[in-house]
Amino acid sequence: MKVLLVEDNEGDIELTKIAFKKAGVACEMAVAHNGEEAVDYLLGKGKFQSVSARPDFILLDLNMPRMGGKEFLEVVKHDQGLKTIPVIMLTSSKAPAEIMECYRRHANFYILKPSGLEALIEMAKRLESFWVNLAQLPEELPAA
Amino acid sequence: MVRERIIRAEPRENLMLGILRDPAPNILIVDDRKENLLATEKVLRNLKVTIFKANSGNEALSLMLRHKFAAVLLDVQMPEMDGFETAQLMQEHESMHGTPIIFVTAISKEEKYASRAADIGAVDYIFKPINADILRSKVKVYLDLYVQHQQILKLNDILSQSNEELERFAYICSHDMQEPVRMMYSYSELLEQDYAQVLDESGSKYLRFIAGNARHMQKMISDILTFSRIGREAPALETVKCDEIIAEILSEFETTIAAKKARVIVESLPVLRTSNTLMRVLFQNLIGNGLKFQDGSRSPEITIGAEESNDVWLFTVRDNGIGIDPSFKEKVFSIFQRFYRQEEFPGTGIGLSTCKKFLEIYGGTIWFKSVPGQGSCFYFSVPQKP
Repeated sequence: MKVLLVEDNEGDIELTKIAFKKAGVACEMAVAHNGEEAVDYLLGKGKFQSVSARPDFILLDLNMPRMGGKEFLEVVKHDQGLKTIPVIMLTSSKAPAEIMECYRRHANFYILKPSGLEALIEMAKRLESFWVNLAQLPEELPAA
Repeated sequence: MVRERIIRAEPRENLMLGILRDPAPNILIVDDRKENLLATEKVLRNLKVTIFKANSGNEALSLMLRHKFAAVLLDVQMPEMDGFETAQLMQEHESMHGTPIIFVTAISKEEKYASRAADIGAVDYIFKPINADILRSKVKVYLDLYVQHQQILKLNDILSQSNEELERFAYICSHDMQEPVRMMYSYSELLEQDYAQVLDESGSKYLRFIAGNARHMQKMISDILTFSRIGREAPALETVKCDEIIAEILSEFETTIAAKKARVIVESLPVLRTSNTLMRVLFQNLIGNGLKFQDGSRSPEITIGAEESNDVWLFTVRDNGIGIDPSFKEKVFSIFQRFYRQEEFPGTGIGLSTCKKFLEIYGGTIWFKSVPGQGSCFYFSVPQKP
């Protein structure tokens, strides 16, 4: 499974990687530190020219410098090629308005960041069983 | 980030001084005759006021649109628009409404004029020829009233602003603290999992302290957030099924109930119009406390009941725990009050104050009776619209 993690906090990036490893989920995890980098990664631009790959899903933080989660959704969900990639919000904001706004911008799922390592490992297992084993994901569209 | 919304604190003393340093209040004199204006001005000169003069009703109205006045001295007999008409228009205009108007006239001392004046919002009536002392002392009364009123308005402003700032501050603090604490807890878990074997006994103990305290801080922050969110949203009524809420809460406490061999007796509970979150917070805290505050000498037993009287549902949550010492009575519902060490009974001291604050928004009250060593019984009322 290929995952793109869009997250600015190094502590969270490390934790998420470790949690997926400890959960025994076979996964290649690419990291972008904000929305702009994530778009570059998906389009194979800039420093991602040689490493770009279409992820099975995207884990997206809300508050990030330069381009945050909501702005990223705006870009990706309006792009013919990219809009079919499931985007899973992974954030600590419980605000109902924030949750509503993300779904309005076509986020596919919204998760609150689990409150400890054990809970994060559990989340990684569930993400795999849902998005990889249960859900049928779309194939990449042929290039126009 | 929410941090941007943080307060720009102004030194409070400066705001207070600002009230005292206010410029002299404005007085408006309206008369079609210049000599009258000059005479009145002369009488008021040694009061601390700024005097504005108008020759007609129209001019008076246009001045009143641009300035705020402590009082208006209004001549009754004027060409075009007379004093009564002018006063009428002033009362009808939102920004001028309520400005004290003192009629000044020579024409008649008959009562009917005075009462007509009162009808259109005049507060006083003075007759020509003007007695300087009377005029000055009347005007002074309205000036004092005006200044006091302005001071109260400003103080109220400062108070509500400072209350809002404090609430926002508590909210932002706790909100932004969640992230670093979550990180501390997660990494201490990681250390425990992966590095336990390289730590000696003391090292493992220190790590447990870090993890335990980070966990406690997470709980505190989330409790403070719940507390400070109360009242930020308008209360809304919905149909609440108490049975369902209790069932959910009991399944959350499943492990504790099993470990302590506790018995929870649920009597018949109503379906009522109130807030789901409110009832959840109440039952969660009261049942949680009933299970927690036990000395282990007997199995916990908690009884939950309700009865209706006079459009109020009265709920009871009774336990057989350690009870509450009478000397704690006053403090039980105050925030951050804890009566035991963390090692004896863990907690944040926020639960019952949240219950009280939340319940009061819906017009309810909460109280308790307790016999130390035998148990406590908490009562709370939830009003129902007839």
